[in-house]
Amino acid sequence: MDRAGNPDSPLFGMAAEVPSASALYHAAEKVRDAGYTRWDVYSPFPIHGMDHAMGLKKSWLSALVFCGGLTGLTIAALLTFYPSTIEYPLIVAGKPVNFFTVPAFFPIMFELTVLLSAFTATFGMLALNGLPRWNHPIFNWNRFDRVSDDGFFLAIEATDPKFDEEATRAMLEGLGAKHITLVYED
Amino acid sequence: MSDHPVKKSVKEYFDYQGFGGKLLFTVALALVALGLAAWGGFQSPKQFAFSWLFAFAFFFTICAGSLFWILVHHAVDADWSVVVRRQLENVAWLFPVIALLFIPIVLNAPTLFKWMKIAPGVDPLLDGKAAYLNQPFFWFRAAFYLGFFSLAAFLLRRNSVRQDKDGDARYTWSSRKMVFGMIPLFALSLTFGAFDWLMGLDFHWFSTMWGVYIFAGSALSSMCVLVLLVTALRSAGYLEGVVSIEHYHIMGKLMLAFTVFWAYIGFSQYMLIWYANIPEETTYFLRRNTGSWNTLNIIMVIGHFFLPFVILLFQDTKKRPALLCTVAVWILLMHMLDMYIIVLPTYHKAGASLHWLDLVCLLAIGATLAAVFMKRLGDTPLWPLRDPRLARSINLRN
Repeated sequence: MDRAGNPDSPLFGMAAEVPSASALYHAAEKVRDAGYTRWDVYSPFPIHGMDHAMGLKKSWLSALVFCGGLTGLTIAALLTFYPSTIEYPLIVAGKPVNFFTVPAFFPIMFELTVLLSAFTATFGMLALNGLPRWNHPIFNWNRFDRVSDDGFFLAIEATDPKFDEEATRAMLEGLGAKHITLVYED
Repeated sequence: MSDHPVKKSVKEYFDYQGFGGKLLFTVALALVALGLAAWGGFQSPKQFAFSWLFAFAFFFTICAGSLFWILVHHAVDADWSVVVRRQLENVAWLFPVIALLFIPIVLNAPTLFKWMKIAPGVDPLLDGKAAYLNQPFFWFRAAFYLGFFSLAAFLLRRNSVRQDKDGDARYTWSSRKMVFGMIPLFALSLTFGAFDWLMGLDFHWFSTMWGVYIFAGSALSSMCVLVLLVTALRSAGYLEGVVSIEHYHIMGKLMLAFTVFWAYIGFSQYMLIWYANIPEETTYFLRRNTGSWNTLNIIMVIGHFFLPFVILLFQDTKKRPALLCTVAVWILLMHMLDMYIIVLPTYHKAGASLHWLDLVCLLAIGATLAAVFMKRLGDTPLWPLRDPRLARSINLRN
């Protein structure tokens, strides 16, 4: 079996290449059904339905974004209502200084809700993906460079409870994967 | 990923077996309601004029919204909407009937649009608008809008139906080319139609956001109607293996998007007028923010935006047809209230007072359109059978 990286360093996992997006999709279904949990697929473009093929559950990013948006809304409501109607009420253009000033405050509530939702979505997505990071062990494998061009890869991590060099290799071969390679951490 | 051809056992055409009673009932309902409305029209002509315009605006916006979704479908070469497009085409193809139902408005125009009765030189504000607000131009525009909507719906539906026979991709190309000419005309027709028939109820008042506001309600309500139609067909055993929960998910997302869009436009219009506080602009909201109209307005703000927004926010709602249909019916009721608050305060200035003609006119137009829709439903397959993108649409994954 090919090796990539420094064989003295800990093993990251076993990676392999498949010929096409559809092969990757069907390979993912089989890896999922084989019961692996710590593994990933890599492709030059998003493949529709891949999350289903991989058996991924619904991301809870949306729940985070909801909380982020709610925080923005609350902050905006406090920032506008407290100073303008309680702490230092000012009558502007004959508008009321009570709950009914709310049309003037809606834009602020709206913008802050959107802003914090967008921030939570962006940074929450990065955090859930474990990003940013300096490097990834799979980059030790030269062949993997083609992932941004025409390569379709999958990698099963050594930390997966089902990982076993022989059995995993046999399974990957059974999927028709080529260039099966052991990838090391360094 | 793979193409699953639709199974042969799937019913492609609507089967009228055991449906005749319902069709007959709808026709009878339409005739009775039209008769009652006509009688009411002689009893209290003014009330009838406003009630009819309210009902007309409600159904007109739904048909216009359906046409909008077809235009967007072709313009962006969408995949997902192929399987539901035929129902949108069926709804949009009701425009010739809508044009016929415009006749009572023609007959009652001077009652509805006061500017028609004012001689030149009496009202300086009207004189300033005379280049636009004059009868010949007004009727030319009305004919143009209704003619354009009918023609656009006809041409796009004809292409779609012809493709059912031979599956030739040139129909897809032809529709795509046509819609680029239709989109600007659609935007202008809907905007100025909304100006002429709804904003024109008070010719002193103006709002540049009016057209977009009516458009937002159109797109939203027509999406709700689509959800209901597709669900009705599915529960009758059609579209099996064609329309899936993934399509509901997308329709639900569009409902959410246009709930927000409607609120965004409605609020922007309100806030600009509220903030500037210029008398000639505030008249519209002043009347609608007084007494019982204000109560209805508050109900609309909560019911048309806050409630559906919170419910539609959750993915679960969009993936449960029964729940999504409930929300769709609710939004349609709110859209009805929206049209009511737009039209009726011009007549009932002091406060809302529901008249039996409001309901009869709704029933008359609604049942007429429903009867024509049901009568035509079986003429064509229930979805575009040989659209080049059909397989992709059926296998949709969000």
